[in-house]
Amino acid sequence: MRTLDVHAVSRSGWFIEPKTLNGLPGRVFAVAFVFFEWNAVEVNDKLFASPSIMVMMTAAVAFGPRSAVLGTTTMAALALFTTQDVKERRWFQPAVNFGQLVIYSAISTTVLSLLLVQIGDAGEEWEVSTTMVGLVALASGLSAVVYGIVNLGLVTFIVGRVYGGKNMNKWSHMAQLVVPYVGMGFLGGLLGAALLLVGPASLPLIAIVFFTGYMAFESYAGLREAQLSTLAGFIKALEAKDLYTRGHTERVAYFSNMIGLHLGFNGTRLEKLRWAALIHDVGKLAVPREVIRKKARLTENEYEEMQGHVHHVEILLSEVEFLKPMVEIAANHHAHVDGNGYHGSAGEGVAPSLEARILAVADSFDAMTSTRSYRVALSQEYAFAELRRFAGTQFDPEVVEAFVEVLSASKEEYGSPIEITEDEARRRAEHGFAQPSGIPRDWSDEQRGRREQSDVGTSDEPGGSHG
Amino acid sequence: MLEPPMSLVGRMAELRLKTLSVIAWLALMVGAVVFTAAGVGRTNLESLDWFLPVIFWAVVITTISFITVPAPSGSRLSLGIAAAVAAAILMDDQMALGAAICLALAATGLIERNFFLSMKRTDGDFLTDALGMAAYSFVYLATYDSVVEADVIDLTWSVVAAVLAAGLVWFVVRALVAAFVGLERSDLAGRYLWLLALEDWAVVISIFAAGTLLGLTWPVMGVWAVAVAVLPYTFGHLAFERYHSTKVTYGQTIRALAQIPEVAGLAPAGHSTRTADLAVAIAQEMGLHPNEVVELEYAALMHDVGRITLNEPAIVKAGFTDEDIARWGAQIIAEAPYLQNVSTLVAQQHRPYRSPGIEVDPDIPIASKIIKVASAYDQARTELALSPIESLERIHQGSAYEFDPQVGSSLRRVLVFRGEITF
Repeated sequence: MRTLDVHAVSRSGWFIEPKTLNGLPGRVFAVAFVFFEWNAVEVNDKLFASPSIMVMMTAAVAFGPRSAVLGTTTMAALALFTTQDVKERRWFQPAVNFGQLVIYSAISTTVLSLLLVQIGDAGEEWEVSTTMVGLVALASGLSAVVYGIVNLGLVTFIVGRVYGGKNMNKWSHMAQLVVPYVGMGFLGGLLGAALLLVGPASLPLIAIVFFTGYMAFESYAGLREAQLSTLAGFIKALEAKDLYTRGHTERVAYFSNMIGLHLGFNGTRLEKLRWAALIHDVGKLAVPREVIRKKARLTENEYEEMQGHVHHVEILLSEVEFLKPMVEIAANHHAHVDGNGYHGSAGEGVAPSLEARILAVADSFDAMTSTRSYRVALSQEYAFAELRRFAGTQFDPEVVEAFVEVLSASKEEYGSPIEITEDEARRRAEHGFAQPSGIPRDWSDEQRGRREQSDVGTSDEPGGSHG
Repeated sequence: MLEPPMSLVGRMAELRLKTLSVIAWLALMVGAVVFTAAGVGRTNLESLDWFLPVIFWAVVITTISFITVPAPSGSRLSLGIAAAVAAAILMDDQMALGAAICLALAATGLIERNFFLSMKRTDGDFLTDALGMAAYSFVYLATYDSVVEADVIDLTWSVVAAVLAAGLVWFVVRALVAAFVGLERSDLAGRYLWLLALEDWAVVISIFAAGTLLGLTWPVMGVWAVAVAVLPYTFGHLAFERYHSTKVTYGQTIRALAQIPEVAGLAPAGHSTRTADLAVAIAQEMGLHPNEVVELEYAALMHDVGRITLNEPAIVKAGFTDEDIARWGAQIIAEAPYLQNVSTLVAQQHRPYRSPGIEVDPDIPIASKIIKVASAYDQARTELALSPIESLERIHQGSAYEFDPQVGSSLRRVLVFRGEITF
């Protein structure tokens, strides 16, 4: 096989400086560092990969810590100022970040340098050989952990100083952070060794593999975003066709989020809850409008049809892989904690999950405090009393109390401003007070004109009042 | 992709492809024997040393061939080519390389046929891989030798240059073979498949870079070379997998949303799915760009979503036209920020090919015209319960007036290929 030159690196004091690999590759690395620092990709819900630490370790192994620190910090100075910061003339935060970056880059690369000197104990000349590759990578992984610890320590310290030490349990996430840091550092060291052993030709290859991976993650994130916004936009548009339920989904999602936060839900779980809230009434879109909008009590058949909307959610969305857990929650939002009520296909007797119980409270509260075709809106106090009355049978008492507490604390006020009983609310609806507050926006003028010419009475048109 | 029912025409095309892949498989076996004979004869070894790397790399390439990565085109690319790239860099004897690659390809083809039928790798895939890898090795060896002879760049860069040239050839050969397979299957336009294959460039570059990295680092880093090549690639591989699965669920989401009017009983059940399947088949037959085909599929699935408005009794009493349905649907779809083009397609689906008394043809997107034809055909088949030939006749009657004649002929060819009509 063809022999490849081993690129020698000389030692000067504590620092190791490369002989051959200066100039252009260093700049390439600096650019890569900026790029990654600027564009960390979301690998999954919890882990944000910031491959900049990996790039730094590669540079530190290949060019020595001095050029690595110099290159990364110079470019980091630029990277830390986003266009947003410049526009809004924010200098303090980026300056602090920059200072931090210099500190932990310097510390971690010094650690790496000390370790490398130990590994390659060869007097004046420091050379990477095949046998050392594993140790170099290990040293690099350890240095990356040092970077992570110093980073976290500094952030904790600064945030503690500025914000008075509130909610600073960042150290509890340390275990989660160590693994990616070790991984990134280890890989960075390996790549640095590869760069020294193979020569500059390996640089574009490594860059290509990472860049295509990065691009794929970006387009994945974009597609995910597109998917979520498509679903959200669609539900909003369909819901807007019915004035009585307009905004209902958004409010239920808002209330659910509120309760979830109060009960200590974290990122992923909270997001799932919001999505369940967003889709919980999709099935209602498939229920005939006359039934939804009926003023009189529903007949048995109509009641079945109305209940069917829960089932429709399952029919419609069960095919969508990523929505499965959310559909399960949404399908159970009419299930009572005592086992009554309408359960999804999971069947009777299966206790609704905490998410479903939250959704049930949020849904019922919004139903009570907004105007429906058969009664005008009830007051917030009345709705709270009703929730408490059915706590333990229909609703989960803990969820009800959490909701009452968090909504009272928020000083937000929903529903009718005056006390009104349910009978009175129904009576008012019979007298034609149950007009929704919204204005229809998506029938075109032409369509409205045609409807006015026809002999349709305005009574079954929610938008009739303004035409 | 939907598996269309096979007609005689379709089965003939399949048979021709099968014959070709059997011929290719036999050629590979002959190649393996010839390369082995030449290699052993040239080195006149007494021991088995010559065979060891051949068997080693044949096993490695075969094994890695069964790892596949989903490419944007929807097909799964085999990673075998990455192993072949590394083998080409690391094996000194050209005859040994030839023998290893022939053996690996033949073994892969055999295993795919007999043990891993669930992998859904078709004869077309086998042909594509075999021709691609053969072309790659020839071009790589030729380029590498001439670059080294020219002596302008060092050895490492020579390797990179040769991989670049040969990889480009591999990419083109692969797309050409895909297009050829399209010519064989008369319902898929060669242009469509060629463009589809070109969509995969990012995955291809990633695979080739990983293979080259393995080949270059192996002699100096030993087993660590595997980590250097595999770890960064894994990052991309995961991303491609996720992209693919999100694309699938995105399609599922749109399919689900499109069914709301059907579940509500406001549109005939199954109409949107059938229209979309037919519209996609027509678009592929006509050779539209793959991205256009995806948008067309979404638009066709949701072309009746405006019917949800008919939930409002007042609207039904007031009366409505096809144009209203199209407009309402487009309004709903336009609420999704990433579906603006789809919204435009849905908004234009009702427009006739040419209105009476108007000289100039209206500027309607081809996708909208396809949806119009596919939807009308499905309506004739299901609501009017006409036979395929009668339904097609209705499309022909409205040709060049209500419907685009080109789309009509394409529909006919699709139906012939599916065996629903016989001429």
